[in-house]
Amino acid sequence: MIDDDDLNAWFVREVLPLERALSSYIRRNWRVPEDVLELRQDIYENVLIGARRTRPANTRAYVYTVARNHLINNAKRARIVPIEAIADLDSVNQDIDFAMFEAERTLTARDELRRAKEGIDKLPPKCREVILLQKVDGLTDREAAESLGVSIETVRRQIKLGMKALFDHMAGGTGRIVRKNYRRRSDHEVLP
Amino acid sequence: MKRQEAIEDQALDWLIRRNGEGWTEDEQAELDLWLEESMAHKAAFWRADHLWQQADRIGSLGIDTHAEPEEAKSQRKWWPAAIAASIVAAVGIGGMSLGPRFFEQPAIERQQARFDTPVGGRRIVPLTDGSKVELNTQTVMRAVVNETKREVWLDSGEAFFEVAHREGEPFVVHAGRQTITVLGTKFSVRRDKDRVTVNVLEGRVRVEDGAGTMAHAALITAGDTAISRGASTLIAAKSEERVESALAWRDGMLSFDQAPLTEVVAEFNRYNRMQLVVTDPATGRIPIGGSFQASGVESFTRLLRDAYGLKIERDDTSVKISSQ
Repeated sequence: MIDDDDLNAWFVREVLPLERALSSYIRRNWRVPEDVLELRQDIYENVLIGARRTRPANTRAYVYTVARNHLINNAKRARIVPIEAIADLDSVNQDIDFAMFEAERTLTARDELRRAKEGIDKLPPKCREVILLQKVDGLTDREAAESLGVSIETVRRQIKLGMKALFDHMAGGTGRIVRKNYRRRSDHEVLP
Repeated sequence: MKRQEAIEDQALDWLIRRNGEGWTEDEQAELDLWLEESMAHKAAFWRADHLWQQADRIGSLGIDTHAEPEEAKSQRKWWPAAIAASIVAAVGIGGMSLGPRFFEQPAIERQQARFDTPVGGRRIVPLTDGSKVELNTQTVMRAVVNETKREVWLDSGEAFFEVAHREGEPFVVHAGRQTITVLGTKFSVRRDKDRVTVNVLEGRVRVEDGAGTMAHAALITAGDTAISRGASTLIAAKSEERVESALAWRDGMLSFDQAPLTEVVAEFNRYNRMQLVVTDPATGRIPIGGSFQASGVESFTRLLRDAYGLKIERDDTSVKISSQ
């Protein structure tokens, strides 16, 4: 059994850098775009549960396998994906998918810094200001609230919004702040 | 709210509280307890904690907290500079044509690289300036990228450009009559015979009708789509969703919002050897919404049969779609 500190360290060092590839893999193989966050976090959960016993030798291959199994299980359970899509997951696309997963370059420290900077520049002005007060000026949330003349709750709300958009951008997403309310396609999907 | 989304929400609340003032040992114990409840809690909290720490490094960039984002500033300054640069370039070339250096020009031109994709293919081409081009199905592109020049010709098909920023050095895409000029941004260009469609995901793009001198130049920004046919250009502004569906192919998907079946069929036909044919106009007008795998002709026609009661007839190379 691996202890939590080691597991955490392994997770941020080897698994999180694959997030871009993982999200893109999910989007390619799952028809409901608004499920990506759910599926990704499910996969992380399963990745951690498995890795707690023994640390896998090849993280990429391991994460890919967990992801693929999860999508297949989910598709069977949800019954929203036409049979062909599951068949594809099983055979045809596997080589291509794994190749794309393998080929995805992990970001260098400079790329990461650049992405964080871009993500922050994309935030709405209020949100950006609060986050910069914390990250650049080193203010606590109470100090930030005082300097802006707003409540600490307001500051925390802005930080939370900013975190979501920023993390999404850092991991290769669009970094858009508002989650749109799509009608879930699966709700009116017709079974073949 | 869905399960993981709710967990992420809680994880962020914990993180913000822990980073704030007056975090007590009792609270830490509470957090530890919450983390112990489920591996999903750990996954969400560890992810957020790590990414938030990574963002600390922007402190080292010396950003002025109260200034505007750089993006907004550079966009404003940008166009006059780019136009100035293009005038300089034009004068420069004019000057060279008089001197002996003109004859060295073709040698540089010859360093053109050609890239293509087959039906249903997709390919990412990294360019030496750090830019990246993603080619969609049935695409032919030529590129010249060196110290002084960044120029690309889209001969057919569709491509998504992620252009690395280089100060004062525009990246130029030629697509038929149209010329698209940018400094550093993300956008796609698609050619269907004489029609050229430009979708902008980030930043700003200048679309020019190449025929006249400075004639018909249009500036479009993120979320905009420009559709040019010959000398006329139509701009659909501020439709981020539309731009996003137009770029769904990057994930191997086709996305439609109540598009007529004929249009949907034409899209599928770009990606597959098996060609779909709609036999009567009334059927062709049926509106279709949703996202589909570009290579999933089988499941798409099955859906048409089962959901819309359409008749599907196959032979070796095509699938005929009609109402019964």
